[in-house]
Amino acid sequence: MAWKFDKPLYSLADDSQNDAATHVWEGESLGGISEDNNRLPRPVIMLLGLTIVTAFLITFPLWGARPNAEIYAEYVQMMDSPAVQAISGDEAKMEYLVSNVKDTSLKSFQERHPLTMDDLRMIKDQVIELQGQGADLGEYSVIGAKVVLANFEGNLITDPVTGKTRPQAKQPWWDKGYTIDVFYVLYFCIAVLIVIKRLPHYSWKPDHSIAH
Amino acid sequence: MLKYLFKRNEDIPPGTAAVFFGFSSIMWFVIGTGLGSFNAAKLAFPDFVTGTELFSFGHMRQVHVLAVIFGWISMAFAMAMMYITPALGNTKLWSEKLGVWNCFLWNIGLSLGLTLLWFGISSGREYSDFPWFIDLYIAAFIALPMAFNVWMTIITRRTQGIYTTNWFFGAGVFMVTIVFIVGNSPEWFNLTGLSEAYMTWWFAHNVLGLWITPIAAAIAYYTVPKVTGNPLYSHRIGHLHFWSVVVFYSTPAAHHLMSAPLPEWLKSFASVEGVLILVPAIAFVSNLLLTMTGKWHMFVENVEIKFTITGVMMAIPLNMQGGFQQTRAINWYVHGTGWIVAHAHLALLGFSTFLEGAAVYYGLQTLLRRKLYSLALANFHFWFLLIGFSIYWISMTIAGLIQGAGKIYEVPYIDVVIAEHPYMIARWIGGTMVFTGNVVWLYNMYMTAKAGTEIPEGRLPHELAYER
Repeated sequence: MAWKFDKPLYSLADDSQNDAATHVWEGESLGGISEDNNRLPRPVIMLLGLTIVTAFLITFPLWGARPNAEIYAEYVQMMDSPAVQAISGDEAKMEYLVSNVKDTSLKSFQERHPLTMDDLRMIKDQVIELQGQGADLGEYSVIGAKVVLANFEGNLITDPVTGKTRPQAKQPWWDKGYTIDVFYVLYFCIAVLIVIKRLPHYSWKPDHSIAH
Repeated sequence: MLKYLFKRNEDIPPGTAAVFFGFSSIMWFVIGTGLGSFNAAKLAFPDFVTGTELFSFGHMRQVHVLAVIFGWISMAFAMAMMYITPALGNTKLWSEKLGVWNCFLWNIGLSLGLTLLWFGISSGREYSDFPWFIDLYIAAFIALPMAFNVWMTIITRRTQGIYTTNWFFGAGVFMVTIVFIVGNSPEWFNLTGLSEAYMTWWFAHNVLGLWITPIAAAIAYYTVPKVTGNPLYSHRIGHLHFWSVVVFYSTPAAHHLMSAPLPEWLKSFASVEGVLILVPAIAFVSNLLLTMTGKWHMFVENVEIKFTITGVMMAIPLNMQGGFQQTRAINWYVHGTGWIVAHAHLALLGFSTFLEGAAVYYGLQTLLRRKLYSLALANFHFWFLLIGFSIYWISMTIAGLIQGAGKIYEVPYIDVVIAEHPYMIARWIGGTMVFTGNVVWLYNMYMTAKAGTEIPEGRLPHELAYER
């Protein structure tokens, strides 16, 4: 298992290993099947690169993640106001809430995760209780009628409610899953590169007439 | 089959196990797609066969799914392994007797397991529906004997090198055994809740990713160079394909549970890996299509190549769907809808069925030394399979998008059912075409064995396809 590192992108095997490999390659018939030694075509390499980049980019934004309680905080705050109480019909009330929120930074999330007055009534008390405890509503997911701490594991923070240290339940910019993926893909690329560079260089073309 | 069970290994003709596996697989394909057609009829026509609990959809669905996976697909794989593994090592199958017993016990166990499922004795977990004692049986009498025979054949080969197909075979039987034993751990250890959900989908994902996908691909690596006579385009792309299957396909189980309360980082990890299943797909498709260089006329003329290349090309939409439908952006819309049913059929009835269909066609002709009884019937089978599958896939994809819209916009369920109805009828028509094609295939292969023209020594079946 000798290794050669002078031209690692050309070959990692020495001449005697390459000779042995080419001898076996050309000299034996695998059930009447032979193999060529072509390189990966450049457009395919580009496609693979594009796939890896796309894999990270398309999964990074959390489209499809659950709504957090912060999105509905202003609805909860307004829902018992005289202006809303004066409106008859739940649909009209909800329309009023949606069109009268002041904090426009959450507008796109509110549009993506609409809810009814009945939904809002079910989470109202839980949102108010969390606000009373000083909790960060952005850390809480709304799942049906329940408001629960989200499953994100971000930077370590001191919990405003319990005072204990815990990972922040918000999507961090460095997400642990993506971080593992970066190394995982890197290790894979290095391992496959080593495997392929231990083969005879792709400029060598096997003669299939020898074994057949 | 029974007469070979107690014969000495030396007295059993080479290829016997493969022939039994081949015919068993076609029989199970007929049964499995017959059940599929029956189930589809129940969805298309709600008044069809009512009043008997045993024939209700809830009893019948999983019998169809597991008949197709363990009967058709896996037995066709076993058939391919029993004749391709030794052929590539210039040797005989390590033990024909073990192979025959394996086939016999497989048919017995599967019949028993499916009967139990039919009577409602089930683990209740999708894809791993068999109760625990059937799981034990499958591990002990189906998976391990097959694995042992394949490994020993590779070990006792008479070549120094190991061809790409045999890497996949050797690794595939190892991976499916691990997947089967670990994936059924909720039953061995009574796991519940998220652990049960995660292990259920780890099993379901990997039985596709580490068994059906790689073994089907391995068959194509054999069929295309063997039948066209071209060398495989690139040994090194084979390496990329093999290792990317092992690395990227084994990890994304959590992407089946994007809405479950799993840690979000695990979903992120799985989602990236889920897109990266395109890496082995690109390697596989490019390697096989480039191997066809100069022989594309065979795509029209030759039955095995027609089946194989159709299957290879189905890997493109299959992996584009599979890679992207699991991302959070798309999953929230299509999860739990007919889209997923369509995708599963693209994998099992499209991609893998066409590849292993070619292996069974080619293997039975080669082993029986008989020319295909009727090329016309084989072409009839191909087109009924392809058109029937396409109708099924397209109709279920549309039905899935309707269901997704209904889910997101909270459309009353009954309105969604009404909107889907035409597509359920189309699904039944497509599925019934597939079933009809398979009945014709069974007849054609039976007649091939019984009355096919003998192939002279030194000739290959596909060379004689157009000779009288």
